[in-house]
Amino acid sequence: MAEPLPPTRSRIPGSGLAKGLAVTLRTMTKKTVTAQYPDAQPELPPRSRGVIGLFEENCTVCMLCARECPDWCIYIDSHKETVPPAAPGGRERSRNVLDRFAIDFSLCMYCGICIEVCPFDALFWSPEFEYAETDIHELTHERDKLREWMWTVPAPPALDPGAEEPKELVAARKTADKLAAEAATAAEAAELAARTAEQAAQPEPPAGGTTTTTGSTTDTTTGSTTDTPTDTPESSKPSDPQDGAS
Amino acid sequence: MNDALDVALRLLVVFVVFLTFPLIVGQTEHKVMAHMQGRLGPMYAGGFHGWAQLVADGVKFAQKEDIVPAGADRRIFQLAPAVALLPYLLVLLAIPIGPGEGAVGQVVDAGIFFVLAVMGVGVLGSLMAGWASANKFSLLGGLRTAAQLLAYELPMLLTAASVAMAAGTVSLPGIVAAFEWWWVPWQLVGAVVFFVAGLAELQRPPFDMPVADSEIIFGAYTEYTGLRFALFLLAEYAGIVVLCGLTTVLFLGGWHGPWGADGLGWVWTLLKAALLAFVVIWLRVTYPRLREDQLQKLSWTLLIPLSLAQIALTGIVKVVIS
Amino acid sequence: MSLAAATAAAARATTTAAESHGFLSPTGVEIAFLLVGLVTFGAAIVTVTTKQLVHAALWLVMALGGLAVEYLLLTAEFIAWVQVLIYVGSVVVLLLFGLMLTKAPIGRSPDADSGNRWVALTVAVAAAAALVWVVVDAFRTTWVDLKGPAAGSTEVTGASLFQNWVLPFEALSVLLLAALVGAIVLSRKAKADATTPADAATPAGAQSRRSEKEGTR
Repeated sequence: MAEPLPPTRSRIPGSGLAKGLAVTLRTMTKKTVTAQYPDAQPELPPRSRGVIGLFEENCTVCMLCARECPDWCIYIDSHKETVPPAAPGGRERSRNVLDRFAIDFSLCMYCGICIEVCPFDALFWSPEFEYAETDIHELTHERDKLREWMWTVPAPPALDPGAEEPKELVAARKTADKLAAEAATAAEAAELAARTAEQAAQPEPPAGGTTTTTGSTTDTTTGSTTDTPTDTPESSKPSDPQDGAS
Repeated sequence: MNDALDVALRLLVVFVVFLTFPLIVGQTEHKVMAHMQGRLGPMYAGGFHGWAQLVADGVKFAQKEDIVPAGADRRIFQLAPAVALLPYLLVLLAIPIGPGEGAVGQVVDAGIFFVLAVMGVGVLGSLMAGWASANKFSLLGGLRTAAQLLAYELPMLLTAASVAMAAGTVSLPGIVAAFEWWWVPWQLVGAVVFFVAGLAELQRPPFDMPVADSEIIFGAYTEYTGLRFALFLLAEYAGIVVLCGLTTVLFLGGWHGPWGADGLGWVWTLLKAALLAFVVIWLRVTYPRLREDQLQKLSWTLLIPLSLAQIALTGIVKVVIS
Repeated sequence: MSLAAATAAAARATTTAAESHGFLSPTGVEIAFLLVGLVTFGAAIVTVTTKQLVHAALWLVMALGGLAVEYLLLTAEFIAWVQVLIYVGSVVVLLLFGLMLTKAPIGRSPDADSGNRWVALTVAVAAAAALVWVVVDAFRTTWVDLKGPAAGSTEVTGASLFQNWVLPFEALSVLLLAALVGAIVLSRKAKADATTPADAATPAGAQSRRSEKEGTR
């Protein structure tokens, strides 16, 4: 019965009992936390691990998921097909074709390793969780069912403000920029060639071409992307004329 | 003929009260306890906020198989629930809810003694159950029941005697009739002791050591199932009704209240009893179970001296004012 | 004790019936009294003859409850409820408590028979006879008026207890107090014995110490 806290000793006897009563009474007046699940759907957080969806168009039957699965609940069957050469005289290519992709959810422990290791983004978490069955065999979801789950996969939640840009976006933009820059320089070169061909004696207009081009060309020309990678194109635009001028 | 009809009507009313009020208390307990724990409690049975949960429970109990353990003392085992339940029915007969002859099942001259004596008999049911089950947990529960009853019967009696001294009568309607508002502070200690001892006698938490489910499964009722188990549960809730009604009548002035002296007194009685029932539930939710030695210590070293002091105070005040 | 009480009740039952003015046309109360007396008597007999210990205690409840009903029929309401409160509610509970602490089996106890059966029977019959004789002799002409104001109500009982019988009442309370103090003393000594096992290492020493204590007692 000894109170561990010294201040409580000095209080009037029974104050601890009264405090306990106050706690329960206060809780009674507050809103309850009960989730009335079948009547009201739960608000699941993003990235809930409900069920695994298969985006089979992305699957290359690399078998990484099946190999990494800790409890061996992924079954993959496939066969090889040869694809005729793309260009006449080329070599035939072989391609893996998916025959069966099944996940046994009675074995799955929802660790998500398969989704992590998939190099081609063919597996996704879906928050759906109401797929209980009366027969355990029904819990082995075959390819079509897994494909159906894909429709329930939510869009990825927005990034936190100030977060690093996703790698794939950076990579995609880089390629796009590169292509655009190539096109721009090619066009410029062509224009230049045309101009010189037309009027060889006339002087060049100062920076006339650069003001009309997009920011991407200035990026590639000045190399400012490496300096400020997080800059959005909108924020970098105003600085473009100065960059171009200098 | 008219007399017989009158008696039959009274018995019927008391019986209906006996069957419904414990259920109301039980349902209130479901809901109040749930909300005090941040839950909703039963929500389905009956549609509206699970009002028929206990009816559904009753139906479930009635459907269950009635099992008597092979090694049990058959007849005593089967008799025990009735012994536990019937005394509370008898006690309800004697509790007045309003002024006059019409508002009490049967006027008993020595009402306090009748009520306390008969309530004490109810515990015999638990003892019989505990012994006849041929189960060591049941036996432990029975032992604890007996020890608890012996410890808490005395303060209850003493505080009841204090009120009887104050009122100068041992009849329950007589006590309420003699009630004045300043009795509440005067008998406050007695009221608290009576209420606490009553809780202990009903084995309600925090005094539920005899049925401590985390230690001895369910004490004396471990081997019971089906309707007999339901009878024990009903006895517990009927006990709450009886205890709250008794405390109201003895210490809170029954039908006395600021308004409603003309014919609406019974509303006051029921209101006060309901408030006390809420307190019973509230205490159950709030406090952890007392250990067996703490339980005995509380009674012998705190409640009994307090009740003796209350009797002394009552005597002194009574002599001074007369 | 229970047997004696029960027989006393039965004896009283017969007395009243015999003393009744309308013996040949008894009233309902008298019939009830007689029947309850018989039940009480039977329960008391079973109490002392049954071989199942806990059943004996429960039959005792029956006998004591029957007595309470007899009191009620004699309009001694207060005494009746006190009988239930003290005997049924406390004494039997204590008895059951004690029985549960023993190895009382469910079913018959093989050794629940006493060799003193005949002696006990003789004593019981003698006690019953004495009681019947005393009661008959004392209350030969007394008649309990059931119709009038209750002769055994709380008020009447209290008045007679504290006006006519104060001295026996106080003597009894002193006796009970002495018993209480004695119980405490005994339990404390037992505790002291239990807590000093080192002193009682040798049997001889223990024996001598015990005899010392016996002497002081």
